[in-house]
Amino acid sequence: MKLVRRDLVSNGPGSVKVVPEEDDDMWHAYNLICVGDSVLAVTVRKVLREMASGGRDAERVKLKLEIKVESVDYDKEGSVLRIRGKNILENEHVKIGQFHTLEIEPHRPFVLRKDIWDSMALDVLQQACDPSASADLAVILMQEGLAHLFLIGKSITTTRSRIETSIPRKHGPAIAGYESALKKFFENVLQALLKHIDFKVVRCVVIASPGFTKDQFRDYLLLEAERRQLRSIIENKSRLILAHSTSGYKHSLKEVLDAPSVMNLIKDTKAAQEVRALKDFFSMLSNDAARACYGPKHVEVAHERMAIQTLLITDSLFKNSDISTRQKYVKLVDSVKDSGGTVHVFSSMHVSGDQLAQLTGIAAILRFPLPDLEDIEM
Amino acid sequence: MTRDVLRKLNYELDYDIYVEYDDGNDIEGRLVLLDKPTSKPGLWHCSICTNENDQSLLSCDTCGVFRDSTAIFDNDSGEKANGKSNNSRASVMARSLFALSPHWLPKPAIIPDIFLAKEAAKSHEKGCIEARFSDLHKIFTSPQRNHSINIAPFQFDTPSPDDIVSAGKSAARNFPKVPLGSTKASSNIIGKKEIVNLLPDNEISNSSSASSSKDNHIDVRESSNSRDHGDAPQIIADDLHRLKLDKKSNNNKSKKAHRNVQYKPEKWMLSDQEEGTLSQLNLAVVGHVDSGKSTLCGRILQLLGRISKKQMHKYEKEAKEKGKGSFAYSWAMDESAEERERGITMTVAVAYFDSKIFRVVLLDSPGHKDFVPNMISGATQADAAILVVDASVGSFEAGMGGHNVGQTKEHAQLIRSFGVEQIIVAVNKMDLVDFSKERFDFIKLQLGHFLRSCGFKESSVVWIPLSAMENQNLVATASDVRLSSWYQGCCLLDAIDSLKPPHRDVSKPLILPICDVVASHSLGQVAVCGKLEFGALRASSKVLVMPSGDIATVRTIERDYCSCSIAKAGDNVAVSLQGIDGGHVMPGGVLCHPDFPVTVASSLELKVLVLDVVTPILVGSQVEIHIHHAKEAARVTKILSLLDQKTGKVSRNAPRILTARQSAIIVVALDGAVCVEEFSVCRALGRAFLRASGSTIAVGIVTRVLELES
Repeated sequence: MKLVRRDLVSNGPGSVKVVPEEDDDMWHAYNLICVGDSVLAVTVRKVLREMASGGRDAERVKLKLEIKVESVDYDKEGSVLRIRGKNILENEHVKIGQFHTLEIEPHRPFVLRKDIWDSMALDVLQQACDPSASADLAVILMQEGLAHLFLIGKSITTTRSRIETSIPRKHGPAIAGYESALKKFFENVLQALLKHIDFKVVRCVVIASPGFTKDQFRDYLLLEAERRQLRSIIENKSRLILAHSTSGYKHSLKEVLDAPSVMNLIKDTKAAQEVRALKDFFSMLSNDAARACYGPKHVEVAHERMAIQTLLITDSLFKNSDISTRQKYVKLVDSVKDSGGTVHVFSSMHVSGDQLAQLTGIAAILRFPLPDLEDIEM
Repeated sequence: MTRDVLRKLNYELDYDIYVEYDDGNDIEGRLVLLDKPTSKPGLWHCSICTNENDQSLLSCDTCGVFRDSTAIFDNDSGEKANGKSNNSRASVMARSLFALSPHWLPKPAIIPDIFLAKEAAKSHEKGCIEARFSDLHKIFTSPQRNHSINIAPFQFDTPSPDDIVSAGKSAARNFPKVPLGSTKASSNIIGKKEIVNLLPDNEISNSSSASSSKDNHIDVRESSNSRDHGDAPQIIADDLHRLKLDKKSNNNKSKKAHRNVQYKPEKWMLSDQEEGTLSQLNLAVVGHVDSGKSTLCGRILQLLGRISKKQMHKYEKEAKEKGKGSFAYSWAMDESAEERERGITMTVAVAYFDSKIFRVVLLDSPGHKDFVPNMISGATQADAAILVVDASVGSFEAGMGGHNVGQTKEHAQLIRSFGVEQIIVAVNKMDLVDFSKERFDFIKLQLGHFLRSCGFKESSVVWIPLSAMENQNLVATASDVRLSSWYQGCCLLDAIDSLKPPHRDVSKPLILPICDVVASHSLGQVAVCGKLEFGALRASSKVLVMPSGDIATVRTIERDYCSCSIAKAGDNVAVSLQGIDGGHVMPGGVLCHPDFPVTVASSLELKVLVLDVVTPILVGSQVEIHIHHAKEAARVTKILSLLDQKTGKVSRNAPRILTARQSAIIVVALDGAVCVEEFSVCRALGRAFLRASGSTIAVGIVTRVLELES
């Protein structure tokens, strides 16, 4: 995201003008724009006009509209952001108070005005405009008969393709069926790879699976690339990395990101930090269960006693339409930071954030054990 | 019929019931309570025509006379030893009501009805007034008297008019297709029979168990009085009173009872065409990676002549060429190029051989850590298992695992939770440790302790030292002096023959979990492999393929690559289907009877036992769940309660986390729907395994199916 103009007071009103550039930025914009803010952007609207003859004529007009946000929709597959609200900028075609839906598109600037720029919003803005943190990794996660293709960006993981084939187990004469089914499966994965992975954008492609499926697939990939002269693969042979995972399901992605060979590549990115933080949480839970807690109630109690060392929280909690709830979490984050703790705001679009969201979305590693948390109902 | 066999039957019933309630919760304590099996498995003689019948049949094949049921009541002493007498006793009775019902033939029953009454009167004249109920019963049904009809257990259940009415109501409510009138119109005894069948329903609808037992009490008086029994009814009633039906157990069974009442197996299913043939045994071969499972299987097949000399020669030559001479035997099992290349098994291989009393289906599982999912989906059908252990120094220890769980341990736990009770521990590669007795005893001590903690009973674990490569103790007793000097036990093949044949239930509606979908020329377009859990199949049977819900017709059935006309519960078969698209048949689905579809659900309540895990289980933990051959990603949505290990009672509600060795009731939400049944309804479809980060974290049973998908 490119920041064109910034005119705001911290914890006060103000506006920014930004230009989203890639898919990731849509996600940031989605997190930035809340109900009650106003957004100014260029848009197209169908306008009805009464002709002199009495007939009616529909025309598409390009307009600049500012709307008061009432709802924000994000489509994670297509990376499209739609904002619905009432118009507040008088215009010859659109009256004040008429509804309009803005679609935020890449490379089209928009102005966002907020009454209060809280610390979370500023964090998101700063992250969105930091170009260095991008991971841009493609991961093919597979097991025999099931494969997922993920693209991992700065703060979102998108599932680009899911391939599922039934592969028979070996049963004597059926062994030929096994081989051909496996071939077919690999072919499907190969097609998905060619379709979705652009080596100009992606830093590297990680192939992960339990057992030897990954080796088999890489061999197949290179062989086929040679045979069919697929230049993009032949040239980028060195950017194919193998990693181990325990299954082909999405939640195994965190094991892949945790593997040392992959970790080195994405060391400083947000995705990697999240994976590490979550791993710390789990290891604390297994070593000293009283020094880790999860769930809003428990975390709150722990915070009252100033026990939180590391707070893990997903961004979806800030997305809450109830403003007071958002305020509550923002305050929690601020006060943990003030008391010397660290805070990891997980992107719910990453697999680690997804997992945290399953664990109620909030968790904490504590400074000292609080065994009596056991007795407090969650 | 010998008393031994009776006791055997009784033992099985007891065990079944016991497991119903306690599986997954108290694995340690479970088997301690059981009687030692006292007889070899086998056939029973019909008391009328002396025909030999299979253990699993409840009535004689040729004449339809019921098998003697004295066993059910003949076990006072055994039951007391069980320490659970009230509960299991009642359930045994309940079960005897349910189990005997569906294929009742009216023919032999009419005579005994009158006969019995006379007999009873006679026995009283002889001065048997003080006789206990069981004694009476024995007299009635003793073989010399030429009738072994177990009408007696039903007498006292003859319902009161009220019961009949409510039973009729529930019948009308539950199965509108069968009007009550028709059942009543049929011969008297059949009508009676139906009512007896319906009785469990009726009891459940009764709000208090006390009232239901009271009903029974009265019934007994009425029915017995009509036969001039004098004092006897009181004794019977007392006896009965002690058998007070446990309401809860009835409730759990209600569904099962329903099914039995509704489902009438067709005649061809019950007729045993293959009289005298061997019964099938699914034998899983499990163990740590490189312990020699495939080699052991290959060697057995070769010694039994299942692999031709030419074929074996070919394997040896190829293996040598690859520089892996020692892998020759395992190549008989590992057929894919990939597996041979790497020298490890990846998926479960299936092989067949005949022992003296079994048609054995060998399921050779992969031992590598990464392929445990394959092992689970391939070997859940096992009836018994061979756990192969590497005796050589270092390898055995690796299998047991130092800080984390080795596959010897993990497999043993899994196999136990598949419901396998009998296990043969084959201590392989004894040649590498010079057939040392000390090493064998050391392994026995170490592993034995662990197996006990898994819930294997000591008497159902057989230990055999052997060497697959050197052919010691496989199909014949050891020839090497170093081994035979201290080991006089049986060889592996004899040990397989000494296993108890598994119980088969043909009388329930068909259930065949699909293990595998194969495109094979001999089988036609779509063929599925799997083990029939219940019921029977023949060519041209209509089956419902779940979860897609399509109807298909069976074209051919193959067993061990030979086509056969009929397949019954317990058989491992390949079934080719017609009238269905291949895309609708997936491994993990189930073939079932069109009128009795299995449930398909994506939210389940499980009772689990957490294994030795490092990371605790939280609300929201992401896991892979395995149920029979299906696997699906899932997450824990609720931890309802923590259970006490010993008693199985709820020790606390809504705990924060689950750690190793705890048992609990949890709710999981699956990403996709799978075919599943409650454990009490169908065990094979009611067992669940949770895995995360490459190891099995919990095993358990499905206690409730929460969300049904139409």
